[in-house]
Amino acid sequence: MTTGSEDDAAYLERVLAEIDDEVRQRRAAGDLPVRLERELDELFLEYSPVAGRGGGLAEQLRMVDAAAFIDPVVPVESTKSGGAAVKKTLRSLSMWYVGYVTGQVSQFASAVSKTLHLLDEQVRALSAQLDSQHVVPAEIVELPAVHAPDAWWVKEVVTAFGTVEGRVLHAAAGSGWLVGALVDGGVDAYGVEPRPGLVGEAEFGSLDLREEGILAHLRAVEPAALGGVVLSGVVDGMSHGEREQLLDLVVEALPPGGVLAVHSLSGAAWEAPDAPPEADLSTGHPLRPATWVHLLGRMGGTARVAEGPTGLDYLVVATLGDSVPPPR
Amino acid sequence: MTEPAAPGPGPRPRAVHQFVPALIPRDATGSHTLLLREALRAAGWRSEIFAEATHDELLDESIPVEDYDQHAAPGDVLVYQFSTSSVVAEVLAARSEPLILDYHNVTGPEHYEGWEPATARRAAAAQQQLRLLAPRAVLGLADSAFNERDLVAAGCRRTAVVPVLVDLDRLADPDPRVARRLAARKAEGGSDWLFVGRLVPSKAQHQLVKALWAHHRLYGPTARLHLVGSAPSGRYLAALRSFVVDLGLEAAVRITGEVSDAALAAYYAAADVYVSLSVHEGFGVPLLEAMRSGVPVVALATGGLPSTAGTAALLLADDEPSRVAAAVERVLTDQSLREHLVAAGRERISALSLEESGRIAVAAVASVVGP
Repeated sequence: MTTGSEDDAAYLERVLAEIDDEVRQRRAAGDLPVRLERELDELFLEYSPVAGRGGGLAEQLRMVDAAAFIDPVVPVESTKSGGAAVKKTLRSLSMWYVGYVTGQVSQFASAVSKTLHLLDEQVRALSAQLDSQHVVPAEIVELPAVHAPDAWWVKEVVTAFGTVEGRVLHAAAGSGWLVGALVDGGVDAYGVEPRPGLVGEAEFGSLDLREEGILAHLRAVEPAALGGVVLSGVVDGMSHGEREQLLDLVVEALPPGGVLAVHSLSGAAWEAPDAPPEADLSTGHPLRPATWVHLLGRMGGTARVAEGPTGLDYLVVATLGDSVPPPR
Repeated sequence: MTEPAAPGPGPRPRAVHQFVPALIPRDATGSHTLLLREALRAAGWRSEIFAEATHDELLDESIPVEDYDQHAAPGDVLVYQFSTSSVVAEVLAARSEPLILDYHNVTGPEHYEGWEPATARRAAAAQQQLRLLAPRAVLGLADSAFNERDLVAAGCRRTAVVPVLVDLDRLADPDPRVARRLAARKAEGGSDWLFVGRLVPSKAQHQLVKALWAHHRLYGPTARLHLVGSAPSGRYLAALRSFVVDLGLEAAVRITGEVSDAALAAYYAAADVYVSLSVHEGFGVPLLEAMRSGVPVVALATGGLPSTAGTAALLLADDEPSRVAAAVERVLTDQSLREHLVAAGRERISALSLEESGRIAVAAVASVVGP
């Protein structure tokens, strides 16, 4: 009960201190050894998917904290007559020695635990910093008018890849509209589409379309295994780093003489009032055609540019040279 | 869904519309949204609720979020009830109306890792959406100072603390059938512990089971633990059940699942103590429900709980089973402590009454909309 001069917070603090005292006394009497509480933790962790896989750091630290306290009060329960009394006597006689040893072990364990907590704090702080700098991967950007089988650049692509040896990859393939046109033109083409559900809706049942990430797919392709690559809707909103990574993978997948076609929206399409929302939300923006010629030239390719009739898009087709620079 | 007519022939009042990922009955965010709509309408503004998903029971209370364009009018102010990741966040990010972010906290992905990978991903997405919306919100509302810190860290320029709107009177009529069953068990002796909340790792129902086991060992095997709340994590539920069986506590631990308001009222009425060892709480509505029902509260001091409870709960610094057991036993046996906590609880809920919280919320919204 609160005393006259004691406020509510002080009263509750006093109650909590009394509860702490009771817990200490109960432990000292062997009513609930710390060892048993630790076993409770371990028992529940047997059911936890966290424990079986090396565990989350927080859960592991919790276990370390629990284990850092070494209980010097040995339980004295016994099923034998007089056993408890004998054990109690032995405990009293050896208490000074056990207490001395466990005190040092506890100190060491506490120091290890504190170090781990400091490490945990630093890792969390680093994670928070990384989160704040997280860059959202560029999304596929398509306009119905320029990403369709009857678009002006489809014929150009079919012609450019007509003489290519080896398979031609189209990404992002959508429902397979360009892969279908390439196959109809005699090209051994297949498509990769990262957006879920589109491949399933494909009207062209016989086409080789795969639902997976474009970068992940290119990483799995053997070096120089493809004859050509068509990128559409992919590079428009990419950041500089993403674009470099993609081009490195494409160069590695193509042999000398391989063909790369890049279809992109133009800066004008990106600035238009009815531009897709990615124009505002993407980290990057479409490059000028001349920049692509520069980039592909740096890769050892010779590139030509075709601009769309409405100024909304353009196509760059490059043939890699005989000596392709190694990826950075 | 009826909207009160504008009084007299004057101009059409401005609208303060709310957006919510899911409108669900008996859910803290859902109830808050419905009560806030009434408070906004009572203040003279037009107000509707636009939801991505709505529970069947509340279909008449909301409009699909994709239909907002048909209702949009110049001068609208939008309030987003933020509690999870949702396409609503992206819809609002692309709009130009003034946005008020009413933030109810997001349980971090680390609490679900290993248990529910999909939920962990959603939680991470929610944190990302908070960082997307916070900088463009004209005002951020937080249930507690603890939640307010999240808003500021996410880039919110102006914030205010507005308690969750809770209608505690809905617990006025306990379900007599449930009450009879609980009374029959109580007649056998022993105490009834209660915790209300979803069965998920962050609510730490497993720590409550450990504390009950310790209490049985220290003070006799008579106490019972009632865990009330939905079980969205199948893995955690299975682990908890196996743990209870391993400890031989099947007869002492009851996992009820989600219950009606009347059944919940019966559980509160029968409870001798409300115990929370949750490790992540933005506000803690059940604490207020327990206080309203005259049930003393023992809780782990975590997140926003200390500011919600004030000095009306016995707040523990850690969740060691023996310490929790001793604290509960003290509350059960120390009549003066019990009376103190119950009386302080009643004072606390009067400070956080629906009327008072509604007044604070309307004043905060008015600071954006104007009188």
